[in-house]
Amino acid sequence: MAVNRKSRSMGISQKSLKSMRRSIPRYPTGNYHPNKENVESRHRNARTLKWSAWLGWQMESNWADPFLFMVYSVAKPIAASLILVVMYSIIAAIGGGPDIGLFHYMFVSNAFFMYVGQVLFGVAQIVHDDREHFQTMKYIYISPSNYFSYMIGRSVSKMVITTFAVIITMAFGVFLLNVPLNIFTINWLLFMAVMVIGIFCIMAFGLALAGLSFLTAKHQGGMNEGIAGLFYLFCGVVFPVSILPSWGMSFAKILPITYWLELVRRTLNLGVGMDSTLSGASTAYCMAILCLSTLIFSIVALAIFKVGDTVARQKGLIDMTTAY
Amino acid sequence: MKFEEFKKPTWFQMNLRAVWGRAYPRIIGVNRELSWVFFETVLPLLGVAAFVYIYKALEAPPQYIGYVIIGGAMTAYWMNVLWSMAAQMYWEKEIGNLELYLIAPISRMSVLGGMALGGMFSSSVRAISTIVVGIVIFGISLSLPDPLMFAGIFIFTMIALYGMGMMFASLYMLWGREAWHMSSLFTEPIYLVSGFYFPVKGFTTMLGNPGTWIAAGASIIPITLGLDGMRQCLYPGNTDGFLPLWLELAILMVLSVVFLFLAKYSLAYMENLGKREGRLTMRWQ
Amino acid sequence: MARYAVEVKNLNRTFTTKAVRGKSKKEIVKALNDVNLTINEGELFGLLGPNGAGKTTLIKILCTLLLPSSGEARVLGHDVHKDTNAIRQKINMVSGGETSGYGLLTVRENIWLFSQLYGIPSKEANRRIDMLMKELKLEHKKNSKVRTLSTGLRQKANMVRGFMTDPALIFLDEPTLGLDVNASRLIRDFIKNWIREKPSRTVLLTTHYMVEADELCDRVAIINDGRVLACDTPDNLKKLIHQDSVLKLEIRQVDNVTAFENIAGVRNFTHSNDMASGITRLKFILDDEAIVADIVAAVPKSGSKILSVQKTEPTLEDVFVALVGRGLTNHEV
Ligand SMILES: Nc1ncnc2c1ncn2[C@@H]1O[C@H](COP(=O)(O)OP(=O)(O)OP(=O)(O)O)[C@@H](O)[C@H]1O
Ligand SMILES: [Mg+2]
Repeated sequence: MAVNRKSRSMGISQKSLKSMRRSIPRYPTGNYHPNKENVESRHRNARTLKWSAWLGWQMESNWADPFLFMVYSVAKPIAASLILVVMYSIIAAIGGGPDIGLFHYMFVSNAFFMYVGQVLFGVAQIVHDDREHFQTMKYIYISPSNYFSYMIGRSVSKMVITTFAVIITMAFGVFLLNVPLNIFTINWLLFMAVMVIGIFCIMAFGLALAGLSFLTAKHQGGMNEGIAGLFYLFCGVVFPVSILPSWGMSFAKILPITYWLELVRRTLNLGVGMDSTLSGASTAYCMAILCLSTLIFSIVALAIFKVGDTVARQKGLIDMTTAY
Repeated sequence: MKFEEFKKPTWFQMNLRAVWGRAYPRIIGVNRELSWVFFETVLPLLGVAAFVYIYKALEAPPQYIGYVIIGGAMTAYWMNVLWSMAAQMYWEKEIGNLELYLIAPISRMSVLGGMALGGMFSSSVRAISTIVVGIVIFGISLSLPDPLMFAGIFIFTMIALYGMGMMFASLYMLWGREAWHMSSLFTEPIYLVSGFYFPVKGFTTMLGNPGTWIAAGASIIPITLGLDGMRQCLYPGNTDGFLPLWLELAILMVLSVVFLFLAKYSLAYMENLGKREGRLTMRWQ
Repeated sequence: MARYAVEVKNLNRTFTTKAVRGKSKKEIVKALNDVNLTINEGELFGLLGPNGAGKTTLIKILCTLLLPSSGEARVLGHDVHKDTNAIRQKINMVSGGETSGYGLLTVRENIWLFSQLYGIPSKEANRRIDMLMKELKLEHKKNSKVRTLSTGLRQKANMVRGFMTDPALIFLDEPTLGLDVNASRLIRDFIKNWIREKPSRTVLLTTHYMVEADELCDRVAIINDGRVLACDTPDNLKKLIHQDSVLKLEIRQVDNVTAFENIAGVRNFTHSNDMASGITRLKFILDDEAIVADIVAAVPKSGSKILSVQKTEPTLEDVFVALVGRGLTNHEV
């Protein structure tokens, strides 16, 4: 069989590509009807969302591929947690005697921060990979479904993969590091609410970043650890916000992730009270701020995505390649 | 059309030119894409700063902040080896440059050497800015009583490290996507075992004898002893070092030779294997 | 000095494709099947064949990018298996429709980069690049970033890259793929001039365009399914299929066509009258091409006047269809 030079198969078999294409929505046929058009387009976006989530799943992780599962859901997250464990243990051993609560604080927030790291880094990478590696971005872009729902779909699969990683890391902490998580005292309803809002917020950030990635050159390495660094530093992930200089604390207080992580810690009842900046605030207050800032950030993110999208088209960057 | 003859360069000159040729886009590239400065130097600093604050929160002795800064600076080189050299091989294949390199009458190591050299330029910018931030913002104080030893440790770490990178690169010639995941695997776990954010002796402090074995095992990765040696050079008089400095230098020298040799061997082996199986120029795997 | 630029004996190449779990089985593709070829020094040699025939595979083997599964291949006297470095000093390759290089560099910088892999001093390299760019009408894009170039311009830049090292043997894999008529002609003329300049230069090109092969190549090998079906000069190949030359004439209407009957060398003669437009159409099947003049001379004798002349000859395309068609059926039986 002749291999067409132009067809990028993304390492997926022809057959599944075909089924993927089938699920790429086509233009509505039949008589044009404004109302019908609306319904069609809604269906279309839903379908895009579905197949892009599926595509992401195929490409990034897969229960059927034990190697990928070990890498992304076990080795990397656990190693990242162990770095904190060793840092804490060394200082504890040489006499500082830091509060064990501080360790729980770090461990939990670090585990849940994976959502932020994965989505932020992942989204920029999806844009650059689609654009430069598979060179499929232009085709997705011109299809009647929009790139926006495509990005959401891809982020959803990232979220699912990350959820496994978070669960594994937490289990590791509970069983091997004596992290005192008591699943019977958790307010699950509140926890789920916190998770839903938090993930929504993170996806909004991801979209904003996707918009910016339209405009930036492909950079290797630096992006990997860099993009999420801002939140890692300012959202009270591995140390209490109160350690930061005062301008840093003020900045932390406007970031929704700060409240999200605080709420996660409170609902799981781990490492609570370590951070003096938020310890005065009630849970209801944190929740309110989280909702409000998520709303604001989502609107801003949407705007950034749209601007990035438009500027990229103006400047002809949709199919640029920037290797060096 | 007139093609003027030129004095046929020696093998060495030819490869030197190739190194410079491949380094060029790396060096010029960073000048042309200004977003690079932001992504490659400013953003990574945020992550390093976070680790500094962990030690502050733990009320660690001040030299630990310096240890993190040194680790953060060296991360630049590690990332460069993993992504801009080893994984780059895959990328070169995808955009069709690999086959042009392979039909050229030069050593494959020159092309990789060029990438390394060009990449080292950008990594050094990042490393130096990390150190500067450490000194200016976090007020670390470094001393350097034995610059010769420091230079020796640094240079041999680099040679061994990039030699190892070349060895990885040979894997990328054949195993595109899989090798890419391998690079991804070599970030956090290697940060852990090589002690990017704490001295490797910490394993011993924490776990006793088994910890020493972890550190010894991790020493096969050149950056482990490189980091430890540099920390010892810059913070003399502490007892956080893993092995005596002279021994670390000696091991790094041995590793340099071993990895360069292995790189040469594995590049030749993989190229041959690829040519036999027809995977050398196959794309989109 | 090597007598042959390329010498291929009993060359085979098989590919084994990996199975996709649950979707496709392991497959063995015979890309080259007992290929025997020689290309003389100084020759412009063409490989003609449908998609998947094995053209690129052959080029890859000769370029030292791929090893043969069995058989022997020598390039400029060197074995492709053992003397790779000696070969690499003297060859270069251009594949059509490919974009290589670094998006951030200018065209000139990109090509310069590749010149350094051949140890060409920068000054001479840049002189050659400028010269070739001028030749291929690419000068005005010299300092543009590669990523801003159109497909055709990229292809030209790719040509500059290949020829810049002044190779003794150059492999051109579909050099005019995606080029417009003018650009293709420019490239073809360039290749012709280049090879004419020095008798020791050799070109091996692959193409799907019959006209291109016919116009350019000294010899052509027709290849299908990994097998060489024929290899000769375009003229000889056309003779191979014994297709007749046909001469068609349109003349002002005459009632008496006896003047055209019994001309020596005409195998078959037919005519028809078109009353409406007042034209008589004559069709001759010729045994000998030289008699065209006799036929034309017969027109005034019949008291008429020539309106149009059309002569059809077998094209390389006919040869191709005949051979590949047959090749395919043979294979499938
Ligand atoms: N790396 C590979 N792995 C598996 N099969 C391959 C590989 N390269 C080529 N093939 C197969 O070998 C056969 C010959 O391919 P080749 O690229 O040589 O054809 P071609 O004559 O150049 O075709 P085209 O005109 O389309 O360029 C095809 O069936 C192709 O699928
Ligand atoms: Mg081909």
